Amino acid sequence: MPSIDSKDIKKLIVACDAGMGSSVMLASQLRKQLKDSGVTVEHTPVNSIPDDADVIVCHSGLAARAKASAPGKPLVSFQIFLGDPAVTKLVNTIKNGGTVDA
Amino acid sequence: MRDDLLDPRAVLLRESAPDRDAAIRRCGRALVDVGAAAEPYIEAMLERERSISTYVGEGVAIPHGTNASKGDVQRDAICVVRFPGGVDWDGEQVTLCVGIAAKDDGHVQLLSQLAEILLDPDRARALREATEVSQVMKELT
Repeated sequence: MPSIDSKDIKKLIVACDAGMGSSVMLASQLRKQLKDSGVTVEHTPVNSIPDDADVIVCHSGLAARAKASAPGKPLVSFQIFLGDPAVTKLVNTIKNGGTVDA
Repeated sequence: MRDDLLDPRAVLLRESAPDRDAAIRRCGRALVDVGAAAEPYIEAMLERERSISTYVGEGVAIPHGTNASKGDVQRDAICVVRFPGGVDWDGEQVTLCVGIAAKDDGHVQLLSQLAEILLDPDRARALREATEVSQVMKELT
């Protein structure tokens, strides 16, 4: 299972299908929550995840496609766009230190 | 906030729909009617919903098209369509849809604002229960 130490996370990608709706909403929330952490948050279509992405965040329904598109990268999947426990945990790990492995 | 994203004519507060697809069609129609999207965009919204639900919580869904359908978007816009009787959304009860047509990132700030509203239960309720167009415009723009 790919993992990364929180201090090595520079870029977080919210992978999405269309990039105009829910993922945009989540990315804006993450950007706000991680404002002081130095982590960049971007949203990109699931089939064009950039090489320099450190962690991928995507809806569980897109996880298989995200894994195929960016093999070997830690991937946090969620089910609820606002307030999903997996996303909350990721934010806390980045803020407080620890390892992201998913 | 850009004030051209939400046309007051695209705020419909007393709609009803028998099911999710009908609710999405209503949203798509509202976007087409204000000149934000071309007709085929409505089908793309249905297709997008079938892959992953756009339910975001607090009784709100944000239907929108697929990446491939961006060519049918004429300008970035949203619509707000309220279904006081509720719509079954794959087991969730939706009373408010914020439909989106976007080809650029012009609507990002508005979605960000919507997320803030939905994370505040009191504001979320006020938006869900709004009966006047002016209330919705005030909350969102």
